[in-house]
Amino acid sequence: MDFDLSVIADHWRFLGYGVGVTIVLAAASGAASLALGLGIALARMFGPRWLRVPLVFYIDSMRAVPVLVVLVWTFFALPMLTGLTMPPFAAALIGLSVHLAAYAAEIVRAGVESVRPGQTRASLALGMSRAQILRRIVLPQAIVRMLPAFGSLLSVTIKDTAIASVIAVPELMRQSETLAGQSFQPIEVYSFAMLVYFLLLFPVTRGVDRLYRRVAHLGRS
Amino acid sequence: MTFDWSVVADHRAALVAATGTTILLTIATMAIAVPCGIVVAAVRLYAWPPLRAIAAAYVELFRNLPLILVVYWAFYVLPIATGLGLSPFATGLAALALNVTAYNAETFRAGLGSIRRGQLEAAMALGMSRRQALRRVILPQAVRRILPVLASTWVSLFKDTSLVSVIAVGELAYVAMQIRAQTFRVLEMLTAMAVIYWLLGYPQAKLVDWIQRRYAVTE
Repeated sequence: MDFDLSVIADHWRFLGYGVGVTIVLAAASGAASLALGLGIALARMFGPRWLRVPLVFYIDSMRAVPVLVVLVWTFFALPMLTGLTMPPFAAALIGLSVHLAAYAAEIVRAGVESVRPGQTRASLALGMSRAQILRRIVLPQAIVRMLPAFGSLLSVTIKDTAIASVIAVPELMRQSETLAGQSFQPIEVYSFAMLVYFLLLFPVTRGVDRLYRRVAHLGRS
Repeated sequence: MTFDWSVVADHRAALVAATGTTILLTIATMAIAVPCGIVVAAVRLYAWPPLRAIAAAYVELFRNLPLILVVYWAFYVLPIATGLGLSPFATGLAALALNVTAYNAETFRAGLGSIRRGQLEAAMALGMSRRQALRRVILPQAVRRILPVLASTWVSLFKDTSLVSVIAVGELAYVAMQIRAQTFRVLEMLTAMAVIYWLLGYPQAKLVDWIQRRYAVTE
């Protein structure tokens, strides 16, 4: 079996562009799902009662359906309903964010609920309002406790961007597919893509672990 | 824009068969990945140190790769590496099993590691052998921690089987997208696909929540 890496060296710009798109897509959908998830979780816990049922339904549905299905549906079927065509990148960003926000919302809820109710009661006794308690007492502790879960969500986000290749977003997976098809050297190209994904993901998982170990004491009560 | 939902009814036999393949793929992968995960976890915990390092490297590698890439990689590399002409189903199964085994190995390792050392020491102080302590004290507690994680891995796996559609395994996502391409009923077929996944996945997700509540451990 020959292993000829010149195909990588010759097309490093093409693959590098893919890495860039992967990072931008992961960062954008990670940030969007975080913001969306925080809003959904807070609305679910502290919002009006009638909002709770649809939000729980949304969260559980997203946990039940594959990302591939969400992406393909957003890209191909949604434009037929709305009449607006979307470029693949926008569809991937929307699909990934809507899917991952459900997971982010569950993480936020678990974090907030892990802060003992005695703390809320004590704050109420001290005369704080609900909003003040959330901002000053509950969230600062909860956020630290959510860190490891958000770290694994970030690594899931990076991995899920590869699925956007199915709707032709030119990220690393898609670029590798194209190059593998054109050069007839799939083994070299896919092995290289594996290396790049590993080098992207491993520091993220390790980095979040380390960060958590440094700040874990802030979340204890 | 008019929609014609009869296309779904016309292809129901194909969709039902594809759903069967999805479920079969999930069950077969788990059937491989649970015993293999136990072996890898055992190697990582108790084996000769160089073997331990290999097991750890395997687990870290596959936990840090997108599954869709593993699927493509298996499709091109496995036939050359093994010299066998594998069917798409077997290739997809191998890729899923490689991925889920790594996750399961980590689950088993963390589950055993989460039982405090003091419990083993206390059991041995009561006159139990190491083996007895493991079987009667450690394992019953570890199982309660491992089971909920395995259950959520199961649901992830059920969803991830959709990714082997990229190498033309005839499971639900692939068949639905094929019918879409043949009939041009895009919205109808894709919605039908999403609804079928939802119908199967929603009860599973709820069951996982129940298992996690039921087996919550207080040491």
